[in-house]
Amino acid sequence: MQFLRLAGLAAVLVVALLFAVFVGDQGPWYFAWVIGTVMIILISGAGAILFDAQETASDDQEV
Amino acid sequence: MDMIDPTVVELSRFQFALTALYHFMFVPLTLGLTFMLAAMETVYVVTGRKIYKDMAMFWGKLFGINFALGVATGITMEFEFGTNWSMYSRYFGDMFGTPLAIEGLMAFFMESTFVGMMFFGWDRLSKPAHLAITYLVALGSNLSALWILIANASMNVPEGTHFDPETMRLQFDSFVKVVFNPDAQAKFVHTSVAGYVCASLFVMGISSFYLLRKQHRQFAARSFRMAALFGIISTVAVITLGDVLGRMDYEKQPTKIAAIEGLWETSQPPYAPWLLFALPDNEKQTNYLEIGVPYVLTPLITHEFDKPITGMHELQNEAEPHIRSGIEALSALKRYGQTHDQTDLDAFRQHKEDLGFGFLATQFAPGQDVTNISPDEVNKVVEATKPAILPNVFVVFWSFRLMVFLGLSFFLLFAVSAYLSLKKQLERNRWILHLCMWSIPLPVLATEFGWITAEAGRQPWTVFNRLPTFLSSSTHSVTYMAISLAGFALLYSIFIAAELYLMFKFARLGPDEHDTHGTSALSHNAAAPAAH
Repeated sequence: MQFLRLAGLAAVLVVALLFAVFVGDQGPWYFAWVIGTVMIILISGAGAILFDAQETASDDQEV
Repeated sequence: MDMIDPTVVELSRFQFALTALYHFMFVPLTLGLTFMLAAMETVYVVTGRKIYKDMAMFWGKLFGINFALGVATGITMEFEFGTNWSMYSRYFGDMFGTPLAIEGLMAFFMESTFVGMMFFGWDRLSKPAHLAITYLVALGSNLSALWILIANASMNVPEGTHFDPETMRLQFDSFVKVVFNPDAQAKFVHTSVAGYVCASLFVMGISSFYLLRKQHRQFAARSFRMAALFGIISTVAVITLGDVLGRMDYEKQPTKIAAIEGLWETSQPPYAPWLLFALPDNEKQTNYLEIGVPYVLTPLITHEFDKPITGMHELQNEAEPHIRSGIEALSALKRYGQTHDQTDLDAFRQHKEDLGFGFLATQFAPGQDVTNISPDEVNKVVEATKPAILPNVFVVFWSFRLMVFLGLSFFLLFAVSAYLSLKKQLERNRWILHLCMWSIPLPVLATEFGWITAEAGRQPWTVFNRLPTFLSSSTHSVTYMAISLAGFALLYSIFIAAELYLMFKFARLGPDEHDTHGTSALSHNAAAPAAH
């Protein structure tokens, strides 16, 4: 089972690399959009988790 | 051929502009809010805190209202190409229809299918499965925009096409060229991230409303934080891609960039000023009351200090040989249609690149026919056609400036909002909450100005340098156009009113009213992990 999971993840990695090489070459702005959107989501999510951490660390009720 | 009534063309243009601008009041929010829902739900799946699920559900409900009305206003536009722009559809249908068909079959069906699962699957799907569905909705809505913008880019910078004298149409050469058209790439990213900005300010504005009223504070503060960070990066991306599009227009659509900058004479680098204010006059071909910032225009447009930017007077003169060549092309094409003689075909091929200019000149020829006129009349037609290669400079100049001014002000707004949110000082700076709340419609307005810049700047062409707008419309009567225009205006105004009513209603009700899944975590200390 673990081997299948590893093989599956390896396949995803290969597809991602091929996608990055092809789209990065043919359509750099499309590639930038994919990477940029993921980054925006991650930073936005990190902001929310930081908010929770700030709430936990402080008694201050101000938001 | 029937004579074309310019009033019908203008009414068709006005109707399309009206329906497109109405439709685009809904689109950006859909593009951005879907990915923001995905971000909220990702935090829910990672942390297990129920408040993030409540956030995804509440903002998802507002997204649903917007999505339904966006679809209703968008479908009519596809039919409009056939009803009001039948000449365009026949001439350019191969190029334009393909991406639109893919949009319908792939992106829209994908989005529509998964949106139902997103709304009704909360209790039926596992957390990761529902998250995957939300991402697919976001991807589907943005892929939908992608194919529409590929179609639009093929009108602005036609690539992967050629004119076939046998079918009298522009035909497909290369699908890859159409999909990877640089204009399509930049325009898609610019439009998509502009949607992220709209969604960010929408969430921040409504969250501000709650914070000002001290309602749903934990919910609103988290929503505000996520949206502010979402917005600040998106605004940087919008500005970056706007710069890319400007440089692309400089190379591919010089009349558009000259109109955007109100540049009648070719610029003198590096001094050339960037005009902050001017009143361009198309009739007199000059600007009044110019106020500019010197040394800014050249590096802004060309990214260099010594490249001139061709002004509109020079562009008109440069167009003259193309207009003459286009008249030759059109005459040879007409002869070839009657004789099918190789000599006529060769004559056409010699001038085929300028065929569009020949089409443009027809509106100034006696009987709207340039193929059978004397050399004197040709000279008159050429002189009349030269100024017609320019768009409405006043409209393009000001819509661009309003868009840029709003875009830069959003950057400041997001920067200050993100800073105050990260410092947890929002409630002691109520002015920023008021500002965010009243700014909700501004990004939508900015995207509308962006579309006016792009599309009015493309005039007088529907397909740049290939097919003039004048020859693209259907041959309806003025009465038919006036009645259908009034009908559309009325119907779409009702849609807008319905959207505003529902949005205000559900935003005022707030997330507590929305929560139908047991006790809400929102009115308590939601930082505590919920058991859900």
